Amino acid sequence: MNTDALIIHARARFDHETARRVLKEKYQARMLFAYNGGMWQAGPELLTLLQAVPVEDDVVLLDLYDNPVKINPAELQYLALGRWQEQMNAWLVEHNEMSRKR
Amino acid sequence: MTTGAVILAFNNEETDYVTMAAWGARNIRRHLGIPTSIITDCVDTDKLVDFDHVISANAQTGGTRYFEDYDRTVTWHNAGRTDVYNLTPYDQTLVLDADYVVACDDLKRVLNATQDFMCHRYALDLTTGYQLDNLNKFGDYNFPMWWATVMMFRRSNTARYIFDSMQMVRANWQHYRDLYGIRQSNYRNDYALSIALGIVSGHTLQVDNIPWPLYSLLPSVQLSNVHEDSYQIQYTDSQNKLKQMTFSGLDFHAMGKKHLEAVIANPS
Repeated sequence: MNTDALIIHARARFDHETARRVLKEKYQARMLFAYNGGMWQAGPELLTLLQAVPVEDDVVLLDLYDNPVKINPAELQYLALGRWQEQMNAWLVEHNEMSRKR
Repeated sequence: MTTGAVILAFNNEETDYVTMAAWGARNIRRHLGIPTSIITDCVDTDKLVDFDHVISANAQTGGTRYFEDYDRTVTWHNAGRTDVYNLTPYDQTLVLDADYVVACDDLKRVLNATQDFMCHRYALDLTTGYQLDNLNKFGDYNFPMWWATVMMFRRSNTARYIFDSMQMVRANWQHYRDLYGIRQSNYRNDYALSIALGIVSGHTLQVDNIPWPLYSLLPSVQLSNVHEDSYQIQYTDSQNKLKQMTFSGLDFHAMGKKHLEAVIANPS
C-alpha cells in the first residue's frame, strides 16, 4: 500500500464550487435539442415564447443559430417542456448527491 | 446517408494512441450507436478489431512537442487531419481526437443538427468551471480559436472548402505563422482550422459552433476512473490547495495522455 498517495488522497477536499459550475454547464448543454432542422434550448425563455404564439398555426421562430425555422408550437412546446423537466430533475439529483460529498 | 466517427491515431515514442482510439471506439458505439473508423499507420490487427474500417495512412509529423505529463518532448503526428475529408468512408463524419473521452450521448445532438460543419469554439477548464481564456485565442493578434478536437461535417461544399483551406494553411505554414503572429513553429490543427474558418466565412467569423464548451483537463490534472463513465480528478487550485472532484456522463478532452492511458489500462 502506498501510504503517501493515500494521505494525499485523503487531504484532497471536494471542490463544491467548481463542481456546481461544471454541473450547470453540463445541464445547460443538455437543454439543447434539434427539431425541424433547427437547434433549440429548452428553458423558461422558449417555453414563455411558445405560450405567447397561437398553438393552432405553424409559426416561424429563430433557432439558436439565428436561422428562421417553421415550427408547430404545440409540438415544440411538448418537446421543450419534456426535456426541460427531465434535465432539471436529473440536475437536482446530481446536485443533491454532490452536496453530500466531503 | 451513412454516419460514423473517425479517429486519427499515430503512435509516438511515448503514447499508444491506437489503444486509446480503440477504447474510444467502444465508448462511441455504446453512447452514440455509430461505427468508428481509424486512420492509422498501425498494422497490428489485434489492436484494430474495434474499428469498422481501418484506413491506412502515413504518419505526418507536425514537429515535436513538450508534453507536461511525460516531462519530455515527443514527436507529434498531427498533420494528417486535413486529409480526413478525402479519407472518411461516411457521408456525415464525426472526427474525434483519440484523447477525447465520450461518456454520454451529447454528440448525438451535433449529429442531428443540419449544419454542414461544426466544432467547438470555447474550451472550459473542468478544474475551475471557467473558460480557458489563454487557450481560446492564439497569435499576437488574439485571433479566436476553434478547436479541431471534435469536428462534425457532411460531404458538402462548405466542409470541402474548410478542409481545402486547412491544407493550404498546412502547406504554407510559415506564411500563416507570420501573418497571424504565431510564435510557436509547430504546425497545429486548431490554428489551421481557425484560420480556415476565417477564410471560408469571408473573415466575418460567423461560424456555427457546437453550442456548448469543450470540457478540458490540462495535463497537470490527475485523472482516475470511478466507474464506467464516471471520473475523479485531483488538482491544485489557485490557492495551492489540493482539491478533488468527480463528474459523470460528461464528455471531455483529456490533454494529459499519460493519465488517460492509465485509466484505459486499469478500468474500474
